[in-house]
Amino acid sequence: MSEPTAAAVSLVLRDIVQEYPQRDGSGVLRVIDGVSLHVDQPSIIMLLGPSGCGKSTLLHMMGGVRPIGTRTPTSGEVLIDGVPCHGAHDDVVMVFQHYSNRPDLSVLENVAFPFRLRCWRERVKESDWRERVNSTIEAVGLAGHRNHLPSQLSGGQNQRVALARALSLRPRILLMDEPFGALDAQTRGEMQNLLVKLHEQNPCLIVFVTHDVTEALALGDRVLVMSTQPAKFADDFTILEPRPRSGSWQRSTEAVRLEERILDQLHSKSAGRGSVSVTI
Amino acid sequence: MSDAKTMWNPYAPLTARTTRLLGIGAVVTVLVLWTLVTGLELVSPNKLPAPWRVAKAFAYLAWDAENQRSLLWNATIWSLGRVIAAGMLVVAVGIPIGVLMGASPRVNAALSPLIDPFRSAPVVALLPIMVMWFGIGEWMKILFLFVGAVVFLIPMVRDAVRAVPQAYWVGARDLGATPWEAVRHAVLPLAMPRIADAVIVAVSVMWTYITVAEYVNAREGLGQLIQNARRFSAMDQVFAGIIVIIAFALLSFQLMRWVKSRLYPWETRV
Repeated sequence: MSEPTAAAVSLVLRDIVQEYPQRDGSGVLRVIDGVSLHVDQPSIIMLLGPSGCGKSTLLHMMGGVRPIGTRTPTSGEVLIDGVPCHGAHDDVVMVFQHYSNRPDLSVLENVAFPFRLRCWRERVKESDWRERVNSTIEAVGLAGHRNHLPSQLSGGQNQRVALARALSLRPRILLMDEPFGALDAQTRGEMQNLLVKLHEQNPCLIVFVTHDVTEALALGDRVLVMSTQPAKFADDFTILEPRPRSGSWQRSTEAVRLEERILDQLHSKSAGRGSVSVTI
Repeated sequence: MSDAKTMWNPYAPLTARTTRLLGIGAVVTVLVLWTLVTGLELVSPNKLPAPWRVAKAFAYLAWDAENQRSLLWNATIWSLGRVIAAGMLVVAVGIPIGVLMGASPRVNAALSPLIDPFRSAPVVALLPIMVMWFGIGEWMKILFLFVGAVVFLIPMVRDAVRAVPQAYWVGARDLGATPWEAVRHAVLPLAMPRIADAVIVAVSVMWTYITVAEYVNAREGLGQLIQNARRFSAMDQVFAGIIVIIAFALLSFQLMRWVKSRLYPWETRV
């Protein structure tokens, strides 16, 4: 939930359409069909949908990370603080599921990685970024692992490194692309708790892509359920229960009903397209 | 040692002892066959000298007491020097070109038609051209080694760069890196172990070409030593020379592998 001290932020998606040329050359395939969104609170927005529904594509558009060779989006625009966003944005940082930590650098060097780049070196004094890097490493609970290589860490610890690197840039918008998708259930729960804690301390707008309904219910202020082929927002749930959400809330009638509604939505919209894998 | 269950299992671990035993066994078998064939004079000594004659030739080449000199030492230093000189040139030219080709499909599209065909071209046939262009001096030999190895190195370096998952480049771009910064800080460091492998292959290639490089007007070198011995039908010395080249190629291979494991310890642990 928003806090009065949080930096104001506004993220707007206006009629986003994405089309790709068909492989056999017969016209175009529409994968995202007129998606609009308006958020101006530093809250947690969950994008929930089955695999391959276009939710990652949408997230990458917000991050300004463009796949090569296609124009994204085909039409519509992403506005950050009212300004159309083209390319990577200083206030927007992504956390990916894989391949984000350099295997040859220690935890400390990986978190400090952005400050090797000219744009951040010019903007943040060395003493400042060293302080930021150290405090975020402590905040994600890796203080004892500063000098370890990624291969010496578990999957969850590696994602802590990725999270620390993103947070050390103090983003106002944090985009997370199934960041905990490759972790076991217990570690995923720990990471969700960590994220909740960090968000509480430093509220920012988080857009979090997941295919896991439980994760969406544990984290989201809003859960946007996406339909598939083409992707649209099929449903928009607001959850008022404050975080961290206890197990008893997650087992409450309210939560279970919500979960059923979301599952119904996911299944109905994909009816006729074969089975959809939904993790509960 | 090899019961039926583990014989055709590619993933069965082998103990160090078994590995050593099988390796030594194979070498000893070949030596025994060689001794038998030559000892029983099944083959003319002019075609295949006996092992002990090769050993004697080796001893003579290593230290010629009569003239107080070591032909082998002298030849080895020259050949080694040429491989090192050409090797530095290959690395200095090949790695930057390969990296640029790997980093940019445009550079690759422009340069690969000029470079890739030479991988399968008979580089040895270029020798007369090299002589025409660069004369018969030291430069010709070094440039021949250079051409022979660099056409292998460049495509391998390019492929090493391209083998790095795109996600690293994209991730760095998202953090605000310029395209070149993303190559420099996110892609290249991860390509380095494979680039080192490419250098190791290139040096091995140079050891195979050294005899050809020293074919024309060489007064020193292992290739010249072999060439000279052949002219006097001293097959025992030819064999001794070949064994020394193989030994040096193996030695440099092992040495470079060790250096690589030291430079990129994180690679083996991934």
